[in-house]
Amino acid sequence: MEGEIRLEELTKAFDGVVAVDGIDLHMPPGEFFTMLGPSGCGKTTTLRMIAGFERPTSGRILLDGSDVARVPPHRRNVNTVFQSYALFPHLDVAGNVAFGLKYRKLTKEEQTRRVGEALELVNLAGFAGRKAAQLSGGQQQRVALARALVLRPRVLLLDEPLGALDARLRKNLQVELKALQNELGITFVFVTHDQEEALTMSDRIAVMNEGSVEQAGVPREVYEEPRTLFVADFLGVSNLLAAEAMGPDGDACSVRVGDRVFRAQQGATGARGDVKVMIRPERIAIEPHATGGDNRLPGMVERSVFLGGAHEVHVRVLGGELLKATVANDGKRLPFALEQGEAVTVHLPPDGLRVLTPGLPRAEAGEAAESGPA
Amino acid sequence: MSWLRNPWGRPRWLAVVTALYIVWSVVPVVLAVAFAFNAGRSRTTWQGFSFRWFTGSTGSVLHDPALQGALKHTLLLAVICVAVSTPLGVSLALGLQRWRGRGSGSVNTLMLLPLVTPEIVMGVALLLLFLRVFPEIGLGTTAQVIGQVTFTLSYVVVIVRGRLTSIGPEYEEAAADLGAPPHDQLLRVLLPLLAPAIIAAAAIAFAVSIDDFVVTQYLSSDASTTTVSMLLYATARGAPTPALNAIATVALVITLVTLSLAFLVYRRFAGGKEAAALAAMEI
Repeated sequence: MEGEIRLEELTKAFDGVVAVDGIDLHMPPGEFFTMLGPSGCGKTTTLRMIAGFERPTSGRILLDGSDVARVPPHRRNVNTVFQSYALFPHLDVAGNVAFGLKYRKLTKEEQTRRVGEALELVNLAGFAGRKAAQLSGGQQQRVALARALVLRPRVLLLDEPLGALDARLRKNLQVELKALQNELGITFVFVTHDQEEALTMSDRIAVMNEGSVEQAGVPREVYEEPRTLFVADFLGVSNLLAAEAMGPDGDACSVRVGDRVFRAQQGATGARGDVKVMIRPERIAIEPHATGGDNRLPGMVERSVFLGGAHEVHVRVLGGELLKATVANDGKRLPFALEQGEAVTVHLPPDGLRVLTPGLPRAEAGEAAESGPA
Repeated sequence: MSWLRNPWGRPRWLAVVTALYIVWSVVPVVLAVAFAFNAGRSRTTWQGFSFRWFTGSTGSVLHDPALQGALKHTLLLAVICVAVSTPLGVSLALGLQRWRGRGSGSVNTLMLLPLVTPEIVMGVALLLLFLRVFPEIGLGTTAQVIGQVTFTLSYVVVIVRGRLTSIGPEYEEAAADLGAPPHDQLLRVLLPLLAPAIIAAAAIAFAVSIDDFVVTQYLSSDASTTTVSMLLYATARGAPTPALNAIATVALVITLVTLSLAFLVYRRFAGGKEAAALAAMEI
């Protein structure tokens, strides 16, 4: 299968400032691969190096096994959907879509047919004669997509293509993009800073920060088993508590948070010393005041917001930390009121508590990225 | 006077000052143009309306050989100047835009130098250049063209670069991404996008060339290289007739029409904001 990308020790520095710091990534053919990270993390620079707009300072870009790092963009069999779409304003929709076909050895009829097919693929069949300025944002986005896909690239690069659209349109296009990728079987390399977008669309996610890959893997793994503090914090909502790891206790790790000792079964259970323990809001259970048992903390409800499907509850626990918990609205009456000032007990189950050591050594992070499940 | 002081209304004092300024700047021009249509020989006393200084059988723009010659030479210089400075300026703008390495900053500043150098200094310098360094060129039409191009080029570069900057690199990148080699990126994408700026730049070069006096005057050789502005200057103290107003009016109309066309073309393609900035450049 075509469309496999391997980045090896890829580095890019602008005037001595390192934007991409020797990353190794494997993007399997036919997958929806997302590079996720905050602005300035190097994700767009990496994408631009794959497209050929930036020349790597060092490292290799292997497209189906051959190094394309020094191949100019017009000779690479990858196409890009730009964040701003970059539709040519002096050409109509058909002219935009046909632009790249000139460089394929095709007859006029074949060209017209392919343009028609591409426009149909993105549901814009009746728009061939329109100018880019006469289209809505979502339509421009589709033209940009058609313009790239008509060339049947091995890899399609998408640079925050949904960033400029409103929330509703964005949701629709997320679904459509994913469906399109499934249908075509082309490798999509998608760049975004939106973790929700990344989780819903991707087969695989690489979380980037400060020019490095913090963790790469399938969405569930990256969300459920973050390896670094950054990943835990960036994906979803996390409660992070400062703790002291006191060493293994069976299959778990004993951690001291304030004056309490908890068992944490996830993450670096062999750690000792200063660590953070993390728990997702949906894993926290809220129980009536003075419920007994391990891994429990007394607290007081500070704020409670009804979200329809769930309550978002902020609980100030003993020791002063604020925990965010989600209580599912399952129709049952709660045995206590979720009101401000209400005393409750917070249960942090051991299998929801993850031990994170502050900062992962570089080599280990690289390994983590490489050894994601195939 | 309460309408002047209403703090919730528009700032009317500003409106008053602006209106006064516009009247002040337009009145002399209107007066000069009006006397081009004077029936008598006076440039100060109105003696009735007539086209005699435009089309009359003697001493009119149409029939006086000196006026005719000046007008033709002015237009000839303007056309050559545009033909030379436009392609040269566009290439320079493209080159400067790409060249982001060492020295690009100083070249940028150098490009603006002809715009800020006092014209008289430039005129004297060019005069010496053609007399001493390039005596084989000497004074005359060639020297005038080179002299005018020296500064009209700056206008072209500044306007085209402005547009290049606002276009940004992404259209070229998109073209490259779709398989276009560098010369196609230029021909199929960049030049069409630059077209309004290029047309506007050419029009401004044309207008600036027509209006120029100092440099053109210094580099002229004999009567055959006299332009309208030189003629106006030379005869103003001699025996002036409203024919001078008439030829000035012709030059004014050509300049205004060219600039308006440029403005319209530019606004049509590049949007109002940039067009306004361009209008501000039409000194």
